[in-house]
Amino acid sequence: MGEQELFWVMSPVIVLASLTLLFARKAVYVLAGMIVVMIGLAVFYVTLEAPFLGMIQVIVYTGAIMMLILFVLMLVGVDQKESLRETIRGQRWIALAAATGLVVLIVTTVYRIELPIRDIGGMNDGGNPQVIANALFGEWVLVMEILGLVLISAAVSAIVLTHLPRSGDRRSQAERAEERVRARLNPVNKPMPGVYARRNALDVPAIDPEGKPVPASISRVLKARKQDKDGSEWRAIGKDEAAE
Amino acid sequence: MVNIVNALVSPTPSPSVTPPEGFVPWEQTLRGDSLLLVAIKAVAILVFLLLSVLFAVWFERKVISRMQERIGPNIHGPFGLFQLVGDALKLLLKEDVSVTKRDRVLYIAAPLISVICAFLVFSVIPIGPAVRIPFTEDVTPLQLTDFPVAALFILACAAVGVYGIVLGGWASGSTYPLVGAVRSSAQIISYELAMGLSLVTVFMMSSSMYTQDIVAAQADLWFGVLLLPAFLLYIVAMVGETNRLPFDLPEAEGELVAGYMTEYSSIKFAWYFLAEYINMLNVSAVATTLFLGGWRAPWPLSAVSDGVLNTGYWPVLWFLAKVWLLMFFFVWVRGSLMRLRYDQFMRLGWKLLIPIGLGWVVLWGVARVLYVKDWLPSVKQVTVPAAIVLGLATVVVLFWPSKPGEEKTGRGRVKEIDATAGGFPVPPKPGEKLPPSPRSTRTVDARSQAKEKGDRDKG
Amino acid sequence: MTEHMNPYVPILVMIGVATALAVAGVVVSRFIGPHRYNKAKLSPYESGMEATPGAAGGGRVPIRYYLIAMTFIVFDIEIVFLYPWAIAYERLSLFGLVAILSFLALITVPFVYEWRRGGFDW
Repeated sequence: MGEQELFWVMSPVIVLASLTLLFARKAVYVLAGMIVVMIGLAVFYVTLEAPFLGMIQVIVYTGAIMMLILFVLMLVGVDQKESLRETIRGQRWIALAAATGLVVLIVTTVYRIELPIRDIGGMNDGGNPQVIANALFGEWVLVMEILGLVLISAAVSAIVLTHLPRSGDRRSQAERAEERVRARLNPVNKPMPGVYARRNALDVPAIDPEGKPVPASISRVLKARKQDKDGSEWRAIGKDEAAE
Repeated sequence: MVNIVNALVSPTPSPSVTPPEGFVPWEQTLRGDSLLLVAIKAVAILVFLLLSVLFAVWFERKVISRMQERIGPNIHGPFGLFQLVGDALKLLLKEDVSVTKRDRVLYIAAPLISVICAFLVFSVIPIGPAVRIPFTEDVTPLQLTDFPVAALFILACAAVGVYGIVLGGWASGSTYPLVGAVRSSAQIISYELAMGLSLVTVFMMSSSMYTQDIVAAQADLWFGVLLLPAFLLYIVAMVGETNRLPFDLPEAEGELVAGYMTEYSSIKFAWYFLAEYINMLNVSAVATTLFLGGWRAPWPLSAVSDGVLNTGYWPVLWFLAKVWLLMFFFVWVRGSLMRLRYDQFMRLGWKLLIPIGLGWVVLWGVARVLYVKDWLPSVKQVTVPAAIVLGLATVVVLFWPSKPGEEKTGRGRVKEIDATAGGFPVPPKPGEKLPPSPRSTRTVDARSQAKEKGDRDKG
Repeated sequence: MTEHMNPYVPILVMIGVATALAVAGVVVSRFIGPHRYNKAKLSPYESGMEATPGAAGGGRVPIRYYLIAMTFIVFDIEIVFLYPWAIAYERLSLFGLVAILSFLALITVPFVYEWRRGGFDW
């Protein structure tokens, strides 16, 4: 029911979303576009009576695109815009040549296809997942195992290439606490920053009982960034001082 | 015990076997629904979920306050029930603040993704068997729809729903939400696998991914009993999936203010809030369907006058009772456990849940195939060793000695290297270490070492 | 309406109803509720401090668990292969069992390797 209509509704959506890969300047927009493309393809699979594939498409690709988001955050930056500077000389021409080749390949392949390729009526008899199971663990079992090999070679090589062993030893929270006590440093937490009722932000030092600011209560990071405040303007004022 | 034996010995009929005379598959009954009926059901589910969330908020506040020796909401209406109306209206009437550094499109889209995905899960949950609609002759199951991969649809919805959190955290353009988003994806990495693994043995026993088939396969014995390890795995994973204590790291109040929803207010915050509570209801309903017999009456009641309590509108009662029992469990866990540290919860996911899940699938798979082949003469020969192996494995994993003092950087002395000897700085290899940094006097380690050195020199 | 309801059409109906509600909520909240903005309200929340103007290094966030994330994808695919086997294991019998067990053993290799190298230690 409505298979054709759904196709004509979904196709423009998918094509538009996939264009973000080319034209969106923010990397996260590209990823959002990919999510739309992925879900759209899943809808197509379901309308083509391959519901198992449709659901798997969503489950696996959500994980994969989530990883891409992580890598964008890690390597590109939160809101870094894409740079259009060429890093490899002549890469545009190489890319253009490769793209032309790909287009020629796709066009000739599509041109040679005759429809219908094969009558697949009754293919799903006994349930779509069951049919997939029979194919996977029957005719195509060797392919599946080889796929497993390809997957683990990718995973293992990623680990080999990027895993850095810890250069120091790992100490637990308890051990660190013990060391602090040994060194006669603050055995418990440093005082929290902020002055009650005046300014509670992280950039203002706490006031000790004598009314003096405690510089140690501000994070080292804020000091390095020069975002810390002096604290003297928020300290409690004594009665005689206020009278002056 | 007799039930376990039966379930093991007589495999549930797989759909490929020709069904008995007069057997109407669920899908067939559902196909009789008109579009109008479907729309009515969809709206009914929506209303049911909204009301349930309102009730859940009151329920949680009431239960948690009793656990903390307080009374909880008791002013407005009987038992403080009208408090929830006030809560809901307050959220609607709040000022809609949008931070200046937000990303315009995704900032609005993210909470919508979360809440829509949360609404979708209930469309495949069977709330009851086929019933006659009052005042008509139409018969329809108390379920919106069911299809060959309905159980996977639930996983897919949950997976897409997480994008709402991650994109929302990113689009706020603020630090705390971003950290919440990153933590949320770490959570997915660790707990989605455990959840996926826990479902495998359920599908083995039902031989189907129709949710109604899974409920039907539990007529004799609930999977929560038969597949106890998988059930426990699911329970842990479901708490992780919903960002509830002790796994609420993406929105840890003490550390991240409110995590990914820090910069959201008014209705956009309400959608996140709603999505979280609907997700609690969702995973409870899924646990009920997959492990606790779905809408089927619990044992002593199911035997009453030939299972009359499993027909008509009665099953709605059992379904709701089971779901709210699990909701109570959620609140109970929140009331008793503290939030895990980041490294602890990653370790729990990868070093405990996934190995147990994998081991359980392999164990059950081997045992079941040998049974189907009729190569094992007695039940005891499988269940007893299986229980022993699993128990041992759990004990070994739980009490695996960790070696705190062990040097992990290689044997022998640690060599100090000149990092810039080759002209540009290189990181130390295992077994090497850098000379102390000029800034290192700032750290606690350096000062403690200096202190010790000074003490030694004096002595 | 066709003779038989396609089982996936109700999902579309549900998506429609849920989207309508969600979007309506956002639109309504534009018109009700106060609008009294000031600079502090509109700036990102950083515990009362002046918001950080822009993160150093383009706002790159160190993701400590990126290796685990890669392992996750491999496992995700593995579980996907387990599902069809699980619903048809009776017919696939011993051959299917051997096939899935060898596949599982293969996939567990990077898991064990990463564990041994300390990839799961923090």
